[in-house]
Amino acid sequence: MAATTESVKADAAEAPLLNKKNMYLGALVYIIFYGWVRWYEGVYGWSAGLDSFAPEFETYWMNFLYIEFVLEVSTAGILWGYIWKTRDRKVMSITPREELRRHFTHWVWLVMYGIAIYYGASYFTEQDGTWHQTIVRDTDFTPSHIIEFYLSYPIYIITGGAAFLYAKTRLPAYQQGLSLQYLVSVVGPFMILPNVGLNEWGHTFWFMEELFVAPLHYGFVFFGWAALGVMGVVNTEVASIAKLLKKDLA
Amino acid sequence: MSASQSAVRSRAEAVKASRTFDWLICFTLFFVVLGGYHIHYMLTGGDWDFWTDWKDRRLWVTVAPIVAITFPAAVQAMLWWRYRLPFGAVLCILGLLLGEWINRYLNFWGWTYFPVNFVFPSNLMPGAIVLDVILMLSNSMVLTAVLGGLSFGLLFYPGNWPIIAPLHVPVEYNGMMMTLADLQGYHYVRTGTPEYIRMVEKGTLRTFGKDVAPVSAFFSGFMSILIYFIWHFFGQWFNKTDFVKSA
Repeated sequence: MAATTESVKADAAEAPLLNKKNMYLGALVYIIFYGWVRWYEGVYGWSAGLDSFAPEFETYWMNFLYIEFVLEVSTAGILWGYIWKTRDRKVMSITPREELRRHFTHWVWLVMYGIAIYYGASYFTEQDGTWHQTIVRDTDFTPSHIIEFYLSYPIYIITGGAAFLYAKTRLPAYQQGLSLQYLVSVVGPFMILPNVGLNEWGHTFWFMEELFVAPLHYGFVFFGWAALGVMGVVNTEVASIAKLLKKDLA
Repeated sequence: MSASQSAVRSRAEAVKASRTFDWLICFTLFFVVLGGYHIHYMLTGGDWDFWTDWKDRRLWVTVAPIVAITFPAAVQAMLWWRYRLPFGAVLCILGLLLGEWINRYLNFWGWTYFPVNFVFPSNLMPGAIVLDVILMLSNSMVLTAVLGGLSFGLLFYPGNWPIIAPLHVPVEYNGMMMTLADLQGYHYVRTGTPEYIRMVEKGTLRTFGKDVAPVSAFFSGFMSILIYFIWHFFGQWFNKTDFVKSA
């Protein structure tokens, strides 16, 4: 009887399989932050973002760029460092329930990756089209680029890297090596950022007009395809979760 | 880890966990595919999709389906061939259209002040439905590529015709003949994309007038067949669960 009571108490005190609060909070952080960013663009894009030689451009846009560089490097270092440092060194001996709980946490990371990819690859990239097709650029660091390339891309890179590291350090399913499709789905979109070098060089050297379908942009396209690697990740996850639940679902 | 231990306490909890994973997977797959597909589509066919004055009877009709059939083919290779879910193409197009519509409202209109009837996205849904239905009924990749790919190209213009027709009405302006869409373009100046880089209706095909759109759609259908094959195999590769083992 005493043992049963203890067990019930332990169950009640146990962390939930899926921490919904963390998931909704995480999603809200992205949505509210990017809502604020969009407000900032709306206010300071037209009023301070048209002439890169103007003092207000330095105040509102270049300082924004410097601050985001510092924050991104430190966030990546702290987050990735924390996940790696607190890794489970006996990952193959965890209980099935703990493994299921970790799969849920992994999926919280993947949901965040979905949101971050949406904002980076869809929302801010097409937004860049309308800004640069409307405004003639006089610098590589335009208001649109400061947000798209140097904010939204690093954020999905940091999020994707965190999801990958979490899986690698805490889930038995990823201990047989490096998941190739997972690597592709994280490293491919990451390569979009270095490809900015080609983009800027090309716009500086060949033409400053904005033709979105110009071959100069095909690097972004190629690395964008890598997002499809998420299908391999889903398949790996489905196989692992099915193994954990199959017996009870039969 | 003991094989006899269970991850859940009851069947009900197992069912609940399984359903929750389904939702998490759907959400993530939808938005990651949306991101990858949207960046691909906007940078290979985007200019024709952004502006009505680019939505001509020739290049728009040719280019859009060819570059749009890529991700649907790859995602079908996962959803149908692994899970027997017959909505890979529709899922991709829904994602693409969601990303585009949000952008056209919040950014094209909300930030750079172009009216939405100048910047609405192309409709790709009829071709996607046909692509999924053919795969579901035939269970054949070859048939889906040939019939579905051809239909995807052929249906694009009819699927957009009711939307674009009012803007293809001819008008005379300052002694010149043009379409209403052209006139929109002249009025809403895009300084970063001057008129000399606009690519519309080049070549001799327009000599034949009314045949331009169907001939372009037929060529687009032909190319869509080939692209479907290639992207089906891309999709198969992305579907693998390979691991790189350390030496």
